[in-house]
Amino acid sequence: MKRFMIVLLLFLLPLEVFALSADEVARKSQAAFLYPGKDFKARVMMKLISKGGQERVREMTMLRKNYGDTGGEQKYFIYFYQPADVKDMTFMVYKYPGKDADRWLFVPAISMVRRIAAKDKHSSFVGSDFTYEDVSGRNLQDDAHSIIKEEKAGGKDCYVVKSTPKAGDMDYSYKMAWIDKATFLPLKEEYFDKKGELYKVFTATEIKDVKGSPTITKRSMKNLQSGHMTEVSYTRADYGIGIDDSLFSERFLKQPPKKWIE
Amino acid sequence: MRKFSLVEFSVEHPKLVVVLSVLITLLFMTQFPKMRTDTNPKNMLPATSDVRVWNDEVENTFSLYEDMIALGIVNENGILNKDTLASIQRITDEVLKIKGVAARDVSSFTTIDNVTAEKETLTVAPLMTKVPEDAPGLEHLRKMLYDNPLFLNRIISKEGKTAAIYVPLEKGANGKEIADRIREIVKKEKGDEKYYIAGDPVARDTFGAEMFKLMGIFSPIAGMIMFIISYIMFRSLFLSMSIMFPAMIIIICSMGLLVGLGFPIHIMSSMSPVFLMAIATDSIHIFNEFYFRYCEKNDKNTAIIETMKAVGKPLIYTDITTAVGFASLLLANIIPVRVFGFGIAFGTLILLLLSFSLIPAVLTFVNIDKVERASQKEGMATGRTSQLLRRLGSIGVFRPRATVAISFILFVIAIIGVMKIHVNNNLVEWFKFNSDVRTADRIINQSLGGTSLAYIVATAQEDDHMKTPEAMRYIEGLQRHLEKLPVVGKTTSVVDYVKRINRVLHDDDPKYDAVPETKEMIGQYIFLFSMSAKPSDLDNVVDYPFRRANIWVQLKTWDAQAMRDVIKVMGDYQKSNRNRIELKPAGIAYFNLVWNDEVLWDMVKGFGAALVIVFVILIFNFRSVTWAVISYVPLLFTILLLYGVVGFIGKDFDMPISVLSCLSLGMAVDFAIHFVSRLKLRLEETSGSESLADSLLWTAARPGKGIMRNAVLFASAFSVMMFAPLTPYITVGAFIVSMMLLSAIMTIIYLPALIVLMQGWLFKTK
Repeated sequence: MKRFMIVLLLFLLPLEVFALSADEVARKSQAAFLYPGKDFKARVMMKLISKGGQERVREMTMLRKNYGDTGGEQKYFIYFYQPADVKDMTFMVYKYPGKDADRWLFVPAISMVRRIAAKDKHSSFVGSDFTYEDVSGRNLQDDAHSIIKEEKAGGKDCYVVKSTPKAGDMDYSYKMAWIDKATFLPLKEEYFDKKGELYKVFTATEIKDVKGSPTITKRSMKNLQSGHMTEVSYTRADYGIGIDDSLFSERFLKQPPKKWIE
Repeated sequence: MRKFSLVEFSVEHPKLVVVLSVLITLLFMTQFPKMRTDTNPKNMLPATSDVRVWNDEVENTFSLYEDMIALGIVNENGILNKDTLASIQRITDEVLKIKGVAARDVSSFTTIDNVTAEKETLTVAPLMTKVPEDAPGLEHLRKMLYDNPLFLNRIISKEGKTAAIYVPLEKGANGKEIADRIREIVKKEKGDEKYYIAGDPVARDTFGAEMFKLMGIFSPIAGMIMFIISYIMFRSLFLSMSIMFPAMIIIICSMGLLVGLGFPIHIMSSMSPVFLMAIATDSIHIFNEFYFRYCEKNDKNTAIIETMKAVGKPLIYTDITTAVGFASLLLANIIPVRVFGFGIAFGTLILLLLSFSLIPAVLTFVNIDKVERASQKEGMATGRTSQLLRRLGSIGVFRPRATVAISFILFVIAIIGVMKIHVNNNLVEWFKFNSDVRTADRIINQSLGGTSLAYIVATAQEDDHMKTPEAMRYIEGLQRHLEKLPVVGKTTSVVDYVKRINRVLHDDDPKYDAVPETKEMIGQYIFLFSMSAKPSDLDNVVDYPFRRANIWVQLKTWDAQAMRDVIKVMGDYQKSNRNRIELKPAGIAYFNLVWNDEVLWDMVKGFGAALVIVFVILIFNFRSVTWAVISYVPLLFTILLLYGVVGFIGKDFDMPISVLSCLSLGMAVDFAIHFVSRLKLRLEETSGSESLADSLLWTAARPGKGIMRNAVLFASAFSVMMFAPLTPYITVGAFIVSMMLLSAIMTIIYLPALIVLMQGWLFKTK
């Protein structure tokens, strides 16, 4: 019996390895990382740390609502608390699969809403080391994915997925992601520049269970070339809170409802 | 008398002395493989100097790059056409892939962020994502370029014929290697465009590469020339080689010591081989005297020992004064100057040792017959050179008053020249006018903002103050003031970004191209800017707590004077606009200015020290203050005349020249020492049986010949440097050649005149 089990295991092992294709791993990872819950809310604390150790702080409430499945449309609403002089500033993003997002910003000092068109691929998210794409995700079809190997990262079994952008308009030439086999969350990501050198590293430093969904509550992105780093922590993270569709409108951008932003 | 025993020992055991010398030399040579160069002007001052600490702090606070290369692209028919723009795109793509290039912050048409407004939408995108296909597309690009003051004079010139790509370098990258890679890239482009590569790292690292080449080429050539000339002088291959032998030894020992102690080869020390070779010509006095003695005595060993007795004392003093002249450079704050002084002083002392050991030893190997034949010609009466020198000497001896009067007129003229001297340093001008580096710099500076970069750091009393309209207006006012200077091509600050956002937010209405009214507005505009542009754009102009702002000042020249003007305008602005914001200059242009002033001060210090020490040594040498003064005068006069010429021809008084002033003292005094020592010896030997005039003429003709030979040999070694492609080498070559010849002539004509005029005073004790 014992022998039979071993044979069976040996038989099953490679099967299990190839049970998931690279594309599926990438898709599951995106679902676990960026799409859990019908909606999501968290108080986000972002620390921008310069090479010399100087810090800039951004504090905001971030709300997200899914419209459709993984990879589908999403809407984001962000209310800023810090820096102090941008208090009451709000920011709204409509994210579409396959094209650049729409963004609106409310500038309270001149009481004006402006649409902002920027390239998701390159633009920094509020001056941090994260690009818009790092925050809201990248179209899965834009990359060629392959599983390079499987290894442990932070004591957890991971797939190591290499994602190479099909178009050459990115700042990086490819990305390696260590994706936890159990949660499908990326534990670590390494970005390699066009010269093939590692230049940006993403690390998930804290993962907590929020209403049954494992959620990365602390993460960092370090640019090895500029020495700049961004640390992000989520507090009061919550799923399925029933955000109204009406929140994502110009009216509420100017006067955000207290119950959602606190 | 230990030195005589050393000479005797060497004459008795010549082979042992030669073998020992070679072994010791080989020991120093083992250090050579460790050799490395350093051409970074920053290392002229120690890392702990105030200006470097401050500059490092500024670079850190504002995430600035130490080094930036500017690639200028010129098309006489205008940049804005499909082909040129496609070239720019291709070149930029390739440049981004070069190792050592900080790709994330390269500024080019395709990478620079452009914030524009259209129908309530702010667009943030690289200026040119793809090359416009048609006329309206090109027109649109033109409008975007010319409407944005952040682009004008930076990536495109006003007349539209010059564009630029700015390539920041990672720390430690080699500017010349990257410039060479960029040259390869642009070579592949087939169009009519011309490309120019400029910037501090290119100049610096090209200079470094050239320097190494020059050291390799010019030292052997200088050696060859000395060899040939000494052969013409002595007609003996063996003697010529004996002159070169100690020269080689001291070069190897002193370079070996510097390398072994871990000093990199810098511009100054790269000149040491030529200096040492020239200094080694001092040993010619031994050969010169040996010929005369051998001719008189006809016994080789006795001739050697007697020669050493006659020239030994002046040799010791001349070598010591030379060593002191160079050692005075140890007082300098400029590190490479200190290292250079140390190396040469060490080599000179080794030469002194060799003069009493190796040279007498080598002389014992001289073929008797040949010397006999050669020395026949050295008869005092028959030698043509000696005849000429005697005649030259007689000018001073028989017309002392006229000689001194003429010198006085020259003296006054020289003083006028000296007063015209202009202190300046300009790294780019170390290259010849038509060199690639200097041409590129000139072309780019003609049409764009400027290749030399300075910063002015504004520091407030509390955090967030830089976001106030008051601080913004203060900085803006300073920028407008600075831009009035002709040397300032462009200034950039956080104010320019805020004004840009203000205008764009208000539908591109030019009315809003101004500092916003409230702190909230400014804070939110800056935040908006940080949300859209590259983070570095903002980091470069304002620090994290918004207490400090950094104003970029692009200068069109590397002259230290330009920075002096900037600082003066800054100071005046501070005085007339009272504000609690402090202003302080920084950046490479500022560093060059500090360094420039440091050089001058060092020179004054070193010159003063050398002046005093050489005088004291002269007193010791002659055991007489009056004789010391007499031999001092022609020396001072020589130096004054040379600087007078420097002042009249308008040559900048830069680092190489200022360093030379200290050295010239130690070297030019040598001839006076030889002359006076030998004259006094002659007076003793003849003990009154010969008139002073005759003794003077004898000295002019016999040791005078040694002096002349020394000067010619020395000058010929340095004349090679006048053919160098780098101006500091040319300057040094020309300066030393003139100094040697001038001080030899001074010694032979002017010194006898002085001695004749002052004889009552000089000889009164006797």
